Amino acid sequence: MNIPLVSPAIRGIEFNADMIFVTAKAWILSLLGHFLPDWVVVLASITISGVVILCLGPVIMMYLTLLERKLIGRIQNRYGPNRVGKWGLLQPIADGIKMFTKEDIVPAKADKVVHLLAPIVIVVPALMLFLVVPFGERMTAVNLNIGILYFIAVSSITILPIFMGSWASRNKYSLLGGMRTAAQMISYEIPMTLAVVPAIMMSQSLSTNTIVMSQEGPYDMHWFIFTPWGIVGFIIFFLCATAECNRPPFDLPEAESELVAGFHTEYSGMKFALFYMAEYMNAFTLCGIATTLFLGGWQGLFFPSWLWFFGKTFVLICVMIWFRGTFPRFRVDHLMGFAWKFLLPLTLVNILLTALWQFTSNLAAWLWSILILAVSLWVLVKLNRTFIPEKRHYPLES
Amino acid sequence: MPVLEIAAKFGTYAVMAMILIFALGVVTLRNLFHCALCLAAALIGTAALYVVLQAEYLAAIQILLYVGAVVTLIIFAIMLTEHLAEKTVRQNNSQSLLALLGLLGFVALLTGLILKTPWPVTQTALTAKVSVMGLGEALMGTYVFPFEVISIILIAALIGTVVIAKKDDPEEKP
Amino acid sequence: MTIFGWGVFKGMMVTLKNFLTSYFRKPDEGGIFTVQYPEEREKELENFRNFPFLVYDGTPEKIRCVACGICERECPPKCIHIEMELDGTGKPARKPAVFDIDYSLCMNCGMCEEVCPFDSVFMDHAFEVTSETGSEGLVRHKEALLKSNEYFQKIRPALASTIDQKRKAAEEKKKATVQATPPPAAGAQAQGPQ
Repeated sequence: MNIPLVSPAIRGIEFNADMIFVTAKAWILSLLGHFLPDWVVVLASITISGVVILCLGPVIMMYLTLLERKLIGRIQNRYGPNRVGKWGLLQPIADGIKMFTKEDIVPAKADKVVHLLAPIVIVVPALMLFLVVPFGERMTAVNLNIGILYFIAVSSITILPIFMGSWASRNKYSLLGGMRTAAQMISYEIPMTLAVVPAIMMSQSLSTNTIVMSQEGPYDMHWFIFTPWGIVGFIIFFLCATAECNRPPFDLPEAESELVAGFHTEYSGMKFALFYMAEYMNAFTLCGIATTLFLGGWQGLFFPSWLWFFGKTFVLICVMIWFRGTFPRFRVDHLMGFAWKFLLPLTLVNILLTALWQFTSNLAAWLWSILILAVSLWVLVKLNRTFIPEKRHYPLES
Repeated sequence: MPVLEIAAKFGTYAVMAMILIFALGVVTLRNLFHCALCLAAALIGTAALYVVLQAEYLAAIQILLYVGAVVTLIIFAIMLTEHLAEKTVRQNNSQSLLALLGLLGFVALLTGLILKTPWPVTQTALTAKVSVMGLGEALMGTYVFPFEVISIILIAALIGTVVIAKKDDPEEKP
Repeated sequence: MTIFGWGVFKGMMVTLKNFLTSYFRKPDEGGIFTVQYPEEREKELENFRNFPFLVYDGTPEKIRCVACGICERECPPKCIHIEMELDGTGKPARKPAVFDIDYSLCMNCGMCEEVCPFDSVFMDHAFEVTSETGSEGLVRHKEALLKSNEYFQKIRPALASTIDQKRKAAEEKKKATVQATPPPAAGAQAQGPQ
């Protein structure tokens, strides 16, 4: 949308609210191009994107923690933090100062190098995921043509530092929590990947920007969520994303009442802050990818595209926080059973529905899709009945 | 921009050197868990090399499968084997020097052979860019038969695993 | 309705309703009942029991305490220290010279209030007690402990009025007996000229 805020041209670049960040970067680069050689401009372009992401990530994470605490507080009939600054807006800064100044305790028998590397390595994929998220029109940091595949690959690296952290602590609770986390993350990656496949099929491309563009249409009715496979795919993807971030109700790995704190038991201070940061940045990125794949990304009427993107991602994050306030934890065998025995077959049925949708997309297709979905859901629910062991009989000894 | 090209070349050689160092780490480190981590690092380096060689799809798949799945499997195996990771294994014995000499001779022979072979490097091969779409079409078109055979092998492996891992039910009735 | 996932949906609606109405409902209707201390405070109840204080009637000289030492003996952690004032000739004047309560030992049990026969020690409502010099600063001397009867009326109206009525009745009775018993000289004089 072209909403000219200031009438014409600053060096021939039209100024509208939608393109504000892109034009700012272009302006800086053109400024540098006047008196610096070309290769410095290329490096500066990379540096600007990098710096913006490096600042955006932690700031988003900080205010996400505050948002979560306020929303959970309201759900639980109390105020969230409201002492530090109006409405608690400076609370994340206080948290940051607290984490910086805490003592860094390393267990005596821990593997020092690996214990140090684990929180560092977990933040790297969390930040790398920001590169393919399309924040707005032409505002993807790196427009890879394998965008979604990159996203899935990099988010699967996150399992490794969890192993490292849990192993290096030499603590049985950490080890147990780390194994459970790794098992959970691997299990939920597969339905997540398969739930993304329909969106790729319909948009014929792996690039995130192209996926968003293919959801263009009048009055935003062409978002993928308004199709039968889109609804199912979105729900599956969102549940798997909640599990990938270890958020409740899938937070058995960090269940405070059961495992002390799972794989980050032995971490304190800045290292714990890094684990925490990686979890929240992961949550943001996964919600961002969910909006690009199913909710139309930055498509929207009247407002600038980046505002739509952040608004939709914000709504999804609020839903994640809502899940946290509502549900008890999954038990570990329920957790794994849900992924392998329910979500995975459902994703395969979803791919079938997408193939059907490719041929026709009218009312008949809707009815067929609902029929197929109802049958497959019924079958899966029947197959996933809770296992009740048979009653044992103890014969009396006479 | 020759500066950027020189920087790219330097970066590529640095990545290659790191791969070699991590690979050495895999075989010489004494703590088995550290070896697994060095393996993961070497595989990530290989993926970086694929990116340099303009095969981004292969790089992403390499990270997804090798680092995300295979290394995880290896680490599970290390952790679940009792007391395996607490031992420090001695990595060389009295025959190391002779073995090293033999290995160096083998490497020299292989390098000579590689340099002398006339590889069929044509212009089309050098400028080919593999697109994901082309890969998909080839897999479903020309190479559909090997694709299906691979999936049958995978199913056989899965079923075999389940059968081996299944506990034997005692056939007693009270 | 028992379709799969219905319970999940209903649960989420419950939390959503709670979230939205938390902005509107009053505390007693089930809304947020947090008291934003220190800007707002809870209503003080009369029998709220905290550290002890001494009552005086009118001016700090008219202290009700006679330094009998019963509260000192009854206090479980032994936090009261009393010394009787001696007037010029060494005879005990019925007033305390030293009355120390160690707030760091006091456990707010209220035994001193219960056993005092002269209605002079009562439990205060002040709980924001701090000290900048560690536990030495928490020893309260007589001057800090003295508070007027008007203050006592304010914080514990029911008890204070009962005690005031009792004391006034006792005063009246004493005055009446003083007037009823005629002074001996007048009596002798009255009997004299018989």
